[in-house]
Amino acid sequence: MSDLELVQGTLDLLILKTLAWSPTHGYGVAQWIRERTRDDLQIEDGALYTALHRLERRALIEAEWGVSDNNRKAKYYRLTADGRKQLRAQTERWARYTRAVSAVLQPA
Amino acid sequence: MRDLPGVRRLFHHEASPRRVEQEIDDEPRFHFDMTVADLIARGRTPDDARAEAARRFGDYGGTRQMLREIDRGRATQVRRATWISGVWQDARYALRGLRTRPGFAAIIILTLGLGIGANAAMFGIVDRLLLRPPSFLAHPERTHRLHMRRSFDGELSTTANTSYRRYLEIARQTTSFERMAAFFVTDFAIGRGDDARERKVALVSASYWPFFDIRPAHGRLFGPSEDDPAGGVPVAVLSHGYWQTQFGGAADVLGKTLQIGSVAYSIIGVAPEGFTGTDLSPVAFVPITIAGVDMWGDGARERLFSSYDMGWLEIIALRKPTVTVEQASVDASNAFRSSLLQQATEAQVRASQPTVIVGSIIRERGPQQGQSSKVAVWLVGVAAIVLLVACANVANLLLARALRRRREIAVRVALGVRRGRLVSQLLTESVVLAALGALAGLAIARWGGRLLGAAFLPDAEGLPLVDSRVLGFTLLATVLASVFTGLVPALQASRPEILEALKAGGREGGLHRSRTRTALLLFQCALSVVLLVGAGLFVRSLHNVQSLELGYDADRVLYVSTEMRGVRLPSEQMTALKRQLHERARALPGVESAARTMGVPFWQTIQLDIVVPGVDSAGRLGDFILNAVSPGYFETMGTRIIRGRAITEEDRAGAPRAMVVSEAMAGKLWPNQDAIGKCVKLNSDTMPCTTVVGIAQGIRRGSFERDDMLQYYIAIEQYSPRAGGLFVRTRDEAASNTENVRRELQVLMPGLAYVNVRPLAQILEPTIRSWRLGANLFALFGGLALLLAAIGLYGVLSHDVAQRTHEMGVRIALGAQMKEILQLVMERGVLLTGIAIAVGTVIAIAGSKFVAPLLFHVSPHDPATYAVVIVSLLVVSIAASTIPALRATRVDPNEALRAD
Repeated sequence: MSDLELVQGTLDLLILKTLAWSPTHGYGVAQWIRERTRDDLQIEDGALYTALHRLERRALIEAEWGVSDNNRKAKYYRLTADGRKQLRAQTERWARYTRAVSAVLQPA
Repeated sequence: MRDLPGVRRLFHHEASPRRVEQEIDDEPRFHFDMTVADLIARGRTPDDARAEAARRFGDYGGTRQMLREIDRGRATQVRRATWISGVWQDARYALRGLRTRPGFAAIIILTLGLGIGANAAMFGIVDRLLLRPPSFLAHPERTHRLHMRRSFDGELSTTANTSYRRYLEIARQTTSFERMAAFFVTDFAIGRGDDARERKVALVSASYWPFFDIRPAHGRLFGPSEDDPAGGVPVAVLSHGYWQTQFGGAADVLGKTLQIGSVAYSIIGVAPEGFTGTDLSPVAFVPITIAGVDMWGDGARERLFSSYDMGWLEIIALRKPTVTVEQASVDASNAFRSSLLQQATEAQVRASQPTVIVGSIIRERGPQQGQSSKVAVWLVGVAAIVLLVACANVANLLLARALRRRREIAVRVALGVRRGRLVSQLLTESVVLAALGALAGLAIARWGGRLLGAAFLPDAEGLPLVDSRVLGFTLLATVLASVFTGLVPALQASRPEILEALKAGGREGGLHRSRTRTALLLFQCALSVVLLVGAGLFVRSLHNVQSLELGYDADRVLYVSTEMRGVRLPSEQMTALKRQLHERARALPGVESAARTMGVPFWQTIQLDIVVPGVDSAGRLGDFILNAVSPGYFETMGTRIIRGRAITEEDRAGAPRAMVVSEAMAGKLWPNQDAIGKCVKLNSDTMPCTTVVGIAQGIRRGSFERDDMLQYYIAIEQYSPRAGGLFVRTRDEAASNTENVRRELQVLMPGLAYVNVRPLAQILEPTIRSWRLGANLFALFGGLALLLAAIGLYGVLSHDVAQRTHEMGVRIALGAQMKEILQLVMERGVLLTGIAIAVGTVIAIAGSKFVAPLLFHVSPHDPATYAVVIVSLLVVSIAASTIPALRATRVDPNEALRAD
């Protein structure tokens, strides 16, 4: 487990990106991020759910109750059109941001 | 399916608070269980896995709290959006429905527009007359107008006008008031030369200003040192409107002079926009002590401030918060009494029972309410009835439509649309209609308000009659109208038994007649009867007033007065000027005759004591009114000489004094004797005889029965050759000649002096205004109600016929004659109307006694009026039933029967 703290707003971006692949439930989102980052990022599950619900309220994602693979009732999230737009804009911003920071930290 | 509101959302995920609570724990539990299972699968012990899962989750309680807040917010948001989109959807649905039947929509919008417009316009008038205190008044609830009441020979007389001295004494001797002010609003000539015009000017004491919460738009207001009987300063504060129109709103107006009357005032300030003082809308405010002297003439200066008998100014007072109106009235009455004691003995004062009425600041709410505002209050009731009739009519039309749409409604009920949604959707339709009606109504009110304003508030120029208060009232009327028109049809149409309609198949239930519709129709017909009876009574009153023999013919007469504005002419020159004016007026094209006159009947009258040899103290027989006139007076006025002769050229100065008396006066002084040749001494016994040479027809003011005045005429050349003005008789209607006559006569006027010309009818008009208003507006509103009732009757009967198509078909197939079918339908129309007439007549008989005081020579139960109303309503009902009846006769039995 690493000690990287999450930059503000990044979690939203990660969630949107995750859901862009396919609709899934909160546990699925957590699993997916964990696998992708190989546990480099330390995200509390509570924070993840808070972020999910906020995104739902902002209508960037929408939720529906469904049945999971192991036949349990689970809340599935999916990206809305607005969410997709937001994901594109935020990805772009993130890329610019890291480029700028990298340019300072690792001069060519 | 998208077209049917309410259906689509049935399948929607609903976000209720209860659901939020339930789901808030489901989601984390699932997560927790999954994590634990996963960890165990990776080889952890169950206890260890649970601890790890809890660690990964973090603060559960905190998170849960946060999630709940977010979700609740979302739920509210969703519900609001759902509601708004529902209303919007309903409104669009309603609009779409109306667009498909533009004629139907137009009738409803126009009907509601007339109803709402009439109410908005009447509210605007009554608000100005009776409800709204003057703007900027600091304490409207404690600001009062004082009225003085005394009794003379058992007759109560109330006046708001009093003398300057009385005002000071009442102010000094009362303790109930924080402050008092005197004011008087009158016409003054403003400007110089040909530009001089009479405008309203407010003469106010310096203490007037603190009654208001105002800051002048420019400059300042005047203070006690400028308003001082011992020598004030001629300064003026302009109204904002006058400053705008006459000075273009220029800031350098301060310090300029403005000629008002014969005084040049220095402009020291401009009142804020919308400030009108306590009354009317004066163009300028000037110190009462300066302008008062100008108004009464320099000679009156002493008496103006020291005598009690010049009653002119009005008093306003600010009551202390700790004092009740009753206490203040007692206090002011005591002050009034002790002021009266300066003039009369204690016994006389006690006999006259002096009281001061501490009345509302709104004049029309005080004890001296005008006839017009009483009529206005009645008309508010009338307007409300018109709106009720309009609503009943619209409700009826909507109901008919809702019944026609039963199938559609039944389908939606079957699809599971809740009744509440259905009602709200039908209500939305009436709200949309009422809103459109309100727009039409405001247009009508704007246009009609101007007419009404000119009728009721002739002195308030340029006030906006549709303002925020009227808009607020309109909104209220609209909401009431939409509820009233929408609720009944909505509840009726959405009744559960409607479902039966679906099962019953296409045909409408045979003899089904809507009881609600019939009741609504009866209601509106009955109200129309009431309104029409009111209209009839007022029309008869007006007719009676107008057909009175007045003894003069005001329509073709102009009154010309001269205003000298401080120009002083020696007596001979003044006399010469008056003769020149007379000569020139007579010679003008378009003028039939002209005569000089000292008084104007009923407006400016002169009374002298008269002594009649052989009659003991003539004064107790009544008030004898004098007019001094030139030759030509009687033909100019159209007053007939019954016997003897008129005042002629012979009656010049030095010749024997001549007099013409009215019939009534002759009868009073010399009953059963010939008046001609009798002697009357003016002023006192020592004066020479004035000999009666003729008897003239009596004159009276429009309405007042006691007005057959004891009038006599003497020769102006023998009495006061320099005095008076002119009556000018024009060949055609007087008003159109006003400006022409003014221009032609003005050239003779020296210096600042000018002539003022106005139609005599305009001077006398206020006395008959209330009947004219009542007659015109009652007739207008009554006609409106009748039209609406006719539309309603037509609608109900057409609907009946449409529903009975089958029955008619059967009857025709069985050989019913056309006459029988006609009769069948018409009978029902006339029967309905008959019931409505009976109900309406009873209401009218019961209610009309309340308007009796406003009528003239008409009994509130005048049979002719009732007969005319009943007959006209029957005629209208027959006309309205004819079309549906004819349609019934044209039913094709084959088609009607095949429809099964």
